[in-house]
Amino acid sequence: MAALLASAPLLALVVRAFADEWRAPALVPQQLGLRGVQIAFSGSSAEAFGNSLLVAVATAMVALVLAWPAARVLGERRLRHPAPVFLLLAMPLLVPSYAVGTGLTEWFIRLGLDGTLPALVAGHLTFVLPYVVLVLLSGFGPRLTALEEVARVNGLSPFRRLLWVTLPAAAPTVGASALIGFLVSWSDYGTSLALGGGRPMLPVVLLPFVGADPQVAATLALLFLAPAVGVLAAATRAGRMPL
Amino acid sequence: MSGHELDCRDLSVSPGDSPVLRGLSLTVPAGSRTALVGPSGAGKTTLLRAISGLQDIDAGEVRLGGEPIHARAVHRRGIAVVFQEPRLLPHIDVQDNVALALRAAGVGRRERRRTAAAQLEEVGLGGLADRRVQGLSGGEQQRVALARALCANPRLLLLDEPLTALDPSRRAALRRVIVELQQQRRLTTVIVTHDRSEAAELGQRIALMLEGLIVQHGEPRTLFERPVSAAVARFFGVSNLIPSGAETLAIRPEHVRLEREGGRRGIVVEAVYAGDHVRVVVECGGQRLRAHVPPPDAPRVGEQIGVILPSEHVWPLPAATSRPEVTGSSAAPRVTL
Repeated sequence: MAALLASAPLLALVVRAFADEWRAPALVPQQLGLRGVQIAFSGSSAEAFGNSLLVAVATAMVALVLAWPAARVLGERRLRHPAPVFLLLAMPLLVPSYAVGTGLTEWFIRLGLDGTLPALVAGHLTFVLPYVVLVLLSGFGPRLTALEEVARVNGLSPFRRLLWVTLPAAAPTVGASALIGFLVSWSDYGTSLALGGGRPMLPVVLLPFVGADPQVAATLALLFLAPAVGVLAAATRAGRMPL
Repeated sequence: MSGHELDCRDLSVSPGDSPVLRGLSLTVPAGSRTALVGPSGAGKTTLLRAISGLQDIDAGEVRLGGEPIHARAVHRRGIAVVFQEPRLLPHIDVQDNVALALRAAGVGRRERRRTAAAQLEEVGLGGLADRRVQGLSGGEQQRVALARALCANPRLLLLDEPLTALDPSRRAALRRVIVELQQQRRLTTVIVTHDRSEAAELGQRIALMLEGLIVQHGEPRTLFERPVSAAVARFFGVSNLIPSGAETLAIRPEHVRLEREGGRRGIVVEAVYAGDHVRVVVECGGQRLRAHVPPPDAPRVGEQIGVILPSEHVWPLPAATSRPEVTGSSAAPRVTL
């Protein structure tokens, strides 16, 4: 029941996307059709979809690699004073992402990187990384250390220990942090706009339609939701796997 | 397979900056079983971690079968550890858990499964090879952990309070399995426990650890009846420490006899029923003596009774380490027996 209620706005979005004609005060559209889809895909949205997907996946992956050692140290409480580290991590979240983006743009122009995918990934990393670290560190701690000790006394070399014990045992947390990293990057507007240098990114393409053409906006929003829902479903399945 | 002698010399370990082991030495003969006992915080777990290499040592050496091993990486020491919690890997099934060390050693899958199945049979879990570890009871999980340790074919087996999490009947059963398998393989074994009776049942020898040092290591009976110090005596339940001149006499409460007639006369001030015995405290010449007597013979509080301390059970503590004091609440005036 709660799930149905929660998905009701989503349902409205689907109806809106395929309503070619829907004048007030009618409760249902007068005419259904694919006008929204045609317009949505005539512009740069397909390219934007690809760009956003690529940047989000790359950002999540790079964030995982960078976050791993930090999360490990924080999660195992090896720091005597972790508070300053958390503060530093949270800093980019306190500043609007457009401000971070414009600050970085200047640098990237000097470096000749503006508008490139690496620049977008680097920009997204500034505020994706804190989330990824915070989620990932919950996977580290005495429980994982205990299993790693078992691996050590059973003769597993450091590499095999990582492969056979650490990664499988930390998999749900790794999945969850990759998911949050992906979603944060995927839905970012400010940095993408500032750093994109004209390169279409899905949130940036979506926004102008919101007031102008609700049908196209709804179609793009569905497109926007698709990978998020997909990743979420995959993560839920992975999370349900007994550990 | 036969065991290797474990020899720890002058071990000093300071995890987290404060010293826990202070120049500890311990030798466990090849193929024998030593129970390591001591109160919480004595450093028992730290010692096992130092031997297995999970804890770095500051000074001293660890030898196994004559070879120094303290500089070796943990995974190259050939030491198996059973921890207090089973610590089974949740993402693989029971037999893969058991065969973990074989997989690390590059043994083929079929051979691994065969060995693991045989090992599970030995710890009494024959039918559980294909099960996931989540469905197992605490006792079964700890047996799987024991099977995993034995499957590694270790040169030394360390068990860190493996029975603590189990209920009494499962404890007794697993205790028997541990002793039987150790005897069959003649595997050099150190078992940590904080329970002195369990130590007596598990160890061919007992090592008592206090404040980071082994204070006495010998056959169980020796530690229970011939403690080297008041501290050892107290740990092993020798609750009568009687100052006598310059020395202190120790006698176990179950060796103290109470007689209606004769003996040193005293008044019963406490009699507590403890199931298989009654704990009686007798005030006797300003001295409180404790006796464990069978319930049918137990005197009542306030009764006058004779106390007999059979001379063959009275043990004078070596003078250098003993302090004239008596356990319990009452201050002990000096008496001469």
